[in-house]
Amino acid sequence: MEPLDTHISRQYNVELENVRSLVLQMGGLVEQQIEQGINALVQGNVPLAEAVIVTDYKVNNFEVTIDEECNQIIARRQPAAGDLRLVLAVIKTITDLERIGDEAEKIARMAVRLAGEERPKNNYMEIHALGTHVRQMVHDALDAYARMDTEAAVRVAQEDLKIDQEYEGVMRQMITFMMEDPRTITRVLNVIWAARALERIGDHARNICEYVIYLVKGKDVRHISLEQMEKEVREGN
Amino acid sequence: MMPPDKGIQVMRAMIVRRKRWDVIFAIVGLFSMLGGVVTLAALIGGMAIDGLPRLSWDFFTSFPSRHADKAGILSAWVGTSMVLLVTALTAVPLGIAAGVYMEEYAAKNWITDLIEINVTNLAGVPSIIYGLLALGLFVYQLDLGQSILAAGLTLAILILPVVIVATRESIRSIPGSIREAAFALGATKWQTVSQHVVPYSMAGILTGVIMGMSRAIGETAPIITIGALTYIAFLPDSPIKSEFPYVSFEWLSSAFTVMPIQMFNWVSRPQEAFHVNAAAAGLVLIVMTLLMNALAIYIRYHFRKRIKW
Amino acid sequence: MPQTAMGTLKAEAKDLNFYYGSYQALKSISLPVAEKQITALIGPSGCGKSTFLRCFNRMHDLYPGNRYEGEIRLHPEGINILSPKIDPIEVRMRIGMVFQKPNPFPKSIYENVAYGLRVRGVNKRRILDEKVEQALRGAALWNEVKDRLNNLAFNLSGGQQQRLCIARALATDPEIILFDEPTSALDPIATASIEELIAELKEQVTILIVTHNMQQAARVSSYTAFMHLGEVVEFGETGGIFTNPSKKQTEDYITGRYG
Repeated sequence: MEPLDTHISRQYNVELENVRSLVLQMGGLVEQQIEQGINALVQGNVPLAEAVIVTDYKVNNFEVTIDEECNQIIARRQPAAGDLRLVLAVIKTITDLERIGDEAEKIARMAVRLAGEERPKNNYMEIHALGTHVRQMVHDALDAYARMDTEAAVRVAQEDLKIDQEYEGVMRQMITFMMEDPRTITRVLNVIWAARALERIGDHARNICEYVIYLVKGKDVRHISLEQMEKEVREGN
Repeated sequence: MMPPDKGIQVMRAMIVRRKRWDVIFAIVGLFSMLGGVVTLAALIGGMAIDGLPRLSWDFFTSFPSRHADKAGILSAWVGTSMVLLVTALTAVPLGIAAGVYMEEYAAKNWITDLIEINVTNLAGVPSIIYGLLALGLFVYQLDLGQSILAAGLTLAILILPVVIVATRESIRSIPGSIREAAFALGATKWQTVSQHVVPYSMAGILTGVIMGMSRAIGETAPIITIGALTYIAFLPDSPIKSEFPYVSFEWLSSAFTVMPIQMFNWVSRPQEAFHVNAAAAGLVLIVMTLLMNALAIYIRYHFRKRIKW
Repeated sequence: MPQTAMGTLKAEAKDLNFYYGSYQALKSISLPVAEKQITALIGPSGCGKSTFLRCFNRMHDLYPGNRYEGEIRLHPEGINILSPKIDPIEVRMRIGMVFQKPNPFPKSIYENVAYGLRVRGVNKRRILDEKVEQALRGAALWNEVKDRLNNLAFNLSGGQQQRLCIARALATDPEIILFDEPTSALDPIATASIEELIAELKEQVTILIVTHNMQQAARVSSYTAFMHLGEVVEFGETGGIFTNPSKKQTEDYITGRYG
């Protein structure tokens, strides 16, 4: 990838820089949503949860705006090579970010439901731990995107494995809860929904890392093993 | 509407000032042009007033005579036509071939540059010099005598530079892309030159040829130098015969006179009546020249209308 | 013919240097040309792409002071068409060319197309008629001109004139056709029809095209070579060059970063 500010057309530099920073803004908003969604759930804070639900329209607006900007760039500039990959990566990234936003909204809705239920003794420790981990992963993925850092992208993608393991752990724990005390089933099911949403967010974050690698290296690393991904990134440096 | 501000008013005044020069030059140019045209018109008009009444069928069909009223220009216009025929038949192929060679075949080096400069200069050499050359070369060296052939060849050499220059200019105006198109299809140089370059430059070449011929028709000095007679009361042998082989080249070696010499002869007589004859002959000569120029214009138009580049 | 990952090769430039007098315009160019594929040459003005193209039909032989070094092998025989032993006319009879500006002869449409055959001594009306129709059909012009074959070629529109020039090149069944910025003098509609035509011609003939218009190269070609300062900087499949070029210079050029 060449730096974005070196085109003959300065206007083009501005346009590309603009979509790139819009994506980071959108990412920041989504990150905040995750954090607040988890906090709302863990603390049983209904107003905070509702704020998260309401914020989702902002995320959607971001998606529409960035999409339109990208359409304009494709129609007017016919981007090629690195620029083309940037625009494509942006279009894909915002789809994943929007989904992450939806998942965060889902967590917030669970938070609203759970607020009415009895709180468990551990104060949703497991969701808090998983959520913090996932939020960190999204943060790192966006960071890798901002710095076009493929090494970081690979590392973040590898985190997804741990997230999945953690999720498995949470699931087992929840199943144990349900077996121990069937009265908790309704509540625990909601917690499972939230955990599931967090696991999905991890997948989306991994996707973003893959786009970063495509953007910088021009290599499609979707649907291959992590080892393979690592090899591809190390190659041709 | 707002009144125009100061800046615009200044600008308008400046435009008016600058445009004044257009008017001034137009007037100067108009007078310069009138100077030339009026003089020429006066010349032709004066000649027409003197000569027009004298023009009659007899004037064209009579030989010169001691009696001004019986004298005609038969031998002169026939002589001029025959000399010009020889000139054209010699100068055109030679001139085109030389022009094509110099433009398409000759290597570009200092020798060809030198030749090029010389050819251009030859067009400006005074015609009497050609007459002297011809006297030595054709009349004595090649022993052609004071004949139509010698005169025709002399005039051919005279207009050769004009034809060569016209040919080269005309060939140069053909876009390189047309030449490349022919070569790209596998044409040889000869195919390209004979099927494209020369045909497409024909308009310019023929215009040059006719301009040269218009010059040749009025030339007197070289013809006198090689010794054309002023009083000819017979026609050259006819080039076309009624019996086999139907053509004859006897006429080439015949003695002859031409229009300008006939005029010169009449003008130098003391009698007023001969001066009228000279004016009438002059009128004929001018008309012949104008006709040739008209032909040149027509040819240029005719050939150019199918070519757009 | 040599077989490669690109399929069969029709021609191959090997270590080609070209000089205009003492100025070296092409520097050690090596480039494979795949048979019945379209290979595009792109690069900034003065990078030598047209110069390189014109080596393929020895156009430089027309002007004094030009010199070739190295070779261009024409397959299947593998002869070096730059060798002084090979007559440039033979080369031009096998490799046709379409120029930047439409350059029909000031002759009739029919005679324009037939000229290449006439050069080869074909004069039988029946054969000429057949070949002219075939070439005009091949150039997607037949339906537009079949009723006015004797009209002057200059009366056609710019796009039609260029298709006529393509028909003129096609009439002699060349093995390769060289296109030197064939649409630079045409409007977008005519450009699109010429591009369409070039893409169709790929079925029957190997094509080498020089273009200023990168999108055009991206649209029509299978392989693209990026040239800069008389050298081939990068060569590869067009898809790869335009999404993920491996050289910085190529990336800079195709993304509009050329200063």
